[in-house]
Amino acid sequence: MPQSTPSSPSLIWFNEDGLNPGHQMVKDYADAPRVYVFDVPELQRQKISKHRVQFIYEALLEIPSIQIYQGETVAVLLQLIADWAIREVVTTETPNHIIRGWQNELQRSVALTTYPDIFPVTDTTSPRRFSRYWRKHERSWLTL
Amino acid sequence: MMQQLRTDLELADRAAIATYLQSEFPFLEDAETLSPYVGGRAAGLERLQSFQLEKYGKQRNFLDGEVSRLSPYVSRGCLTLEELRQWALKQPRSRSVEVFVFELGWRAFFHLVYGEEGDRILQDLEEPKVPMGQHQRSLPADIANGTTGIPSMDTLIQILRETGYLHNHARMYLASYVVHFRKVSWRAGADWMYSLLIDGDFASNHLSWQWVASTFSTKPYIFNRENLERYAGSVLPGDPKKGDPFNYSYEALAERLFGGAYTPEPTGRPTGQYQ
Repeated sequence: MPQSTPSSPSLIWFNEDGLNPGHQMVKDYADAPRVYVFDVPELQRQKISKHRVQFIYEALLEIPSIQIYQGETVAVLLQLIADWAIREVVTTETPNHIIRGWQNELQRSVALTTYPDIFPVTDTTSPRRFSRYWRKHERSWLTL
Repeated sequence: MMQQLRTDLELADRAAIATYLQSEFPFLEDAETLSPYVGGRAAGLERLQSFQLEKYGKQRNFLDGEVSRLSPYVSRGCLTLEELRQWALKQPRSRSVEVFVFELGWRAFFHLVYGEEGDRILQDLEEPKVPMGQHQRSLPADIANGTTGIPSMDTLIQILRETGYLHNHARMYLASYVVHFRKVSWRAGADWMYSLLIDGDFASNHLSWQWVASTFSTKPYIFNRENLERYAGSVLPGDPKKGDPFNYSYEALAERLFGGAYTPEPTGRPTGQYQ
């Protein structure tokens, strides 16, 4: 169980596609508790390798004051939200459909603030062939 | 139901971390070795500093060539595509810079397609361009275990299992071997590789497998002996010449693999065999 009740009404929830201690959300919510959950059913279902688990764990150790849990992601977060009277969960955008599913589920219970991915090109329409994508956006990609 | 993990372990003591994680997650297959890829942004930045971008343009397709090996850090969000793009464009302008940014573009493209399609990318996005209806739906054990009997493929599988990483060209060889030479569904192969890769993400991984399979491209990706020797010969052990499945011209290979359903464009390299 968490050691103490944080005073912040917000909680930063890191997902495996956004393990960046320097992320803007960490700066914007400097006082918020920082949480990561190893989703055990998902690790087992996808047969995730130990190398990836270790990489994620090592990346998490770089994040000051991180609290790492294992369990079912949404259930763990809902428990923390209740224990700490959290009113807002802050996280990062990912196309990962599993994580998006958790985000949607969480949103039914708490306000969710999602920091978008910063992309070099903001046109999000995706022609089915990379050659077409590149012809359209090459100049933007190669310009600072 | 909910258990908190320790955070007081020293990042430098990776063996102790491995032991601890094995005790917390006893269902994980014990890798026995430590991956050379240390997790975290600091390790990613260190790797970026040692990356010799100027060599990338000419060497990137060779298994022993200079590549960034940053995909674990990008996939896990420790480094962002945009900061890598900006870093590259601040280097002296060269073909290497443009090729590196082009490859970042591929990653972004896959990401966008996944964002738009969602979990539909786990199924064929298009009709395959070669017959695949009879492909095996589960991964054969000899592929999972790296005991196919083909030393080159077994070596790639071993590298993947021991390090959690593979050079992009090696991923393409393995995917092509699994799907086209062994007639296994791309999804079974993609799920398997996803589970082993530190940088496993559905966008780059599953869409690349679909690209190799021809369900997200105009043709199947195949390779022959000549290609394997050229780009991977210095890294891989030689394969026995007898019964070598790769030792054909592309035209002959396509005929063997697809029975005339797909004919590659002439390469101008007639033999495709050991030189």
